[in-house]
Amino acid sequence: MAGKARVVNSDILVRIGREEFRNLERLLFRRYPEEEWATFAKFGWRESSQGLVLTLAEVDPPKLGELDESVGHVAIQEPYTLRVALAAEKHSLAVGVLHSHPDKCEPRPSSVDDDMDGYYSEYFSTFAAGRPYASLILARMHDGEIAISGRIFWRREWLPVSRFLVECQPVKTWTRQSWVVDGFRERTARLASAFGKRAAARLRTSSVAVIGAGGTGSAAIEVLVRAGVGRIVIVDPDHITESNLERVHGSHPSDIEQRLSKAALARNHALAIDPACSINAYQGAIPQSEIVDAITTCDLVLGCTDQQHSRLALSDIANRYLVPSIDCGVALEGKNGKITGQIVQLVRFLSADPCALCREMINPIRVAEELMSAEDRVVRQAEAQAAAKRGEDPNPYWQGVPQLNTVGYLTTMAGAMAAGYAIGWLTGSFDPPFSRLQMNLGAPLLEVQEVTQEPRSYCSCRRARGWADQGSADALISAPAHWPPAHLVAW
Amino acid sequence: MSAERILRELSRLREGGQIAELVSNGREFVIYRGVPTGGSRLALPEMTDVIVPVPAGYPASPIDLAGLPVGSPFIGRTPGSQNNQGVHCVGGVNWQLASYHPHSNGGGPPWDQMIHGFHTYFDHLISWLERLV
Repeated sequence: MAGKARVVNSDILVRIGREEFRNLERLLFRRYPEEEWATFAKFGWRESSQGLVLTLAEVDPPKLGELDESVGHVAIQEPYTLRVALAAEKHSLAVGVLHSHPDKCEPRPSSVDDDMDGYYSEYFSTFAAGRPYASLILARMHDGEIAISGRIFWRREWLPVSRFLVECQPVKTWTRQSWVVDGFRERTARLASAFGKRAAARLRTSSVAVIGAGGTGSAAIEVLVRAGVGRIVIVDPDHITESNLERVHGSHPSDIEQRLSKAALARNHALAIDPACSINAYQGAIPQSEIVDAITTCDLVLGCTDQQHSRLALSDIANRYLVPSIDCGVALEGKNGKITGQIVQLVRFLSADPCALCREMINPIRVAEELMSAEDRVVRQAEAQAAAKRGEDPNPYWQGVPQLNTVGYLTTMAGAMAAGYAIGWLTGSFDPPFSRLQMNLGAPLLEVQEVTQEPRSYCSCRRARGWADQGSADALISAPAHWPPAHLVAW
Repeated sequence: MSAERILRELSRLREGGQIAELVSNGREFVIYRGVPTGGSRLALPEMTDVIVPVPAGYPASPIDLAGLPVGSPFIGRTPGSQNNQGVHCVGGVNWQLASYHPHSNGGGPPWDQMIHGFHTYFDHLISWLERLV
């Protein structure tokens, strides 16, 4: 963590994968409704100027006799604590304890919980020095929803968890002061009548990152803002050009004269639609550190760049930081003036899904060409030409995978669909009914097909899940040093 | 660059007795120390240091190229070294990169970041320095 910014505000997030959350529910409520239960767990984490994000990496459930079953409250036996502490000396993850509260009890820490946290925070600071200690409480509320509270002991301070983000499943966050307040607005009344007022309110407190603010991204952003999503993080490294006018929502010829960045354009357009929406627009790209900082604070992310390195980075972030994403791609295929294919692809990346490498979506040579500096690209292309002249194979130097053709109605459709599925996740209303969907608008019945692939047993996506920064040695991609630094777009 | 990953790969090499280090001159490189050569049959040194640039976005991009100190007797004798791919001053030494691309249609297997790395690239370097002309 050397060189990392320290937490400068109290924005403390805890992210939990969907499968782990289901397992946790089963485990912690095994004595519900009368009595409590508990488990230790390991967490990855990432500290930045935006806050501290913890990611549940692995639950370490009690073995028989390691919790005292004869009492109603949580009574962890010393052998369990010692087992977890000794294991912590051999890994780099943070340690925490999670426990349930019985029926009709809010997830408010009791005095017994205070004692336990005081003891464990000191105890684990010996075995897991320099790492956060997490204490989370889960409770079932009268409406059946799960509510969670938490506090993190970090740098000798207790910090309340400000938000829990469970992959694709809304949960209630309980804070010291009150429940996180939901909002409702008349402008989304039609959406609320279909999805329910609670869903509309959830959108208001949600945040979505959109990577790429071109044709697909600008359509997704527009749908999300109009639906009332409270905060949008927009990421794009480029400026608007004349050829973008055919696809980019909200773009005008005057934007080109002003040499406006796509991120700024998208921000301006979003705020014109809903001035109450909070927009953080970055000129940059994933996986730059500032962008990962911003994305890991969001409920989910939409990938709208149609670039392989971006797809790989999204897959990595879904896996290590438990940020669910949907990646969009479009392609227009044609020959002799005839359009032969109008392809839309949507790919879901959840932490338990196979990564982009396992799904064979990545051509490393194309990625290398995308990530190369402009100078290296010129040299490589010249070398390829020279090789061809010598009668040699030019491919080792430059393969020049062509840019896919696209058109506004396809990008708008892909972006709007991805935004729709995002709304489904954010509200808990529906899931994308696919892991990887392809369709061809020009084919009978759209030739819709689901492409499924199994994870490769040797892939790091099986072992670095939820490891956050502590799994950086297993990162699938890094940001090239020659990229200009990412920055928030100034007004 | 994923320094953690590269250091892990280099530590695997070290376990096998091969020294290699991650260095920077603003751009990152790995320098392999004392790589065996097939030079003895040509009355050339039996070992040489070799430099390899860390590709942008590593490990997403394949490792590519290999370089020797400027003036090395192996330049012009190893495959692709007659085709200068640039000179870089790293660690006080000028290194000349050769046109060597084992993972990019250059004779090696397609890049798979779950299998390949700076530890496996060492094998390609040995092969490169064996095939002297």
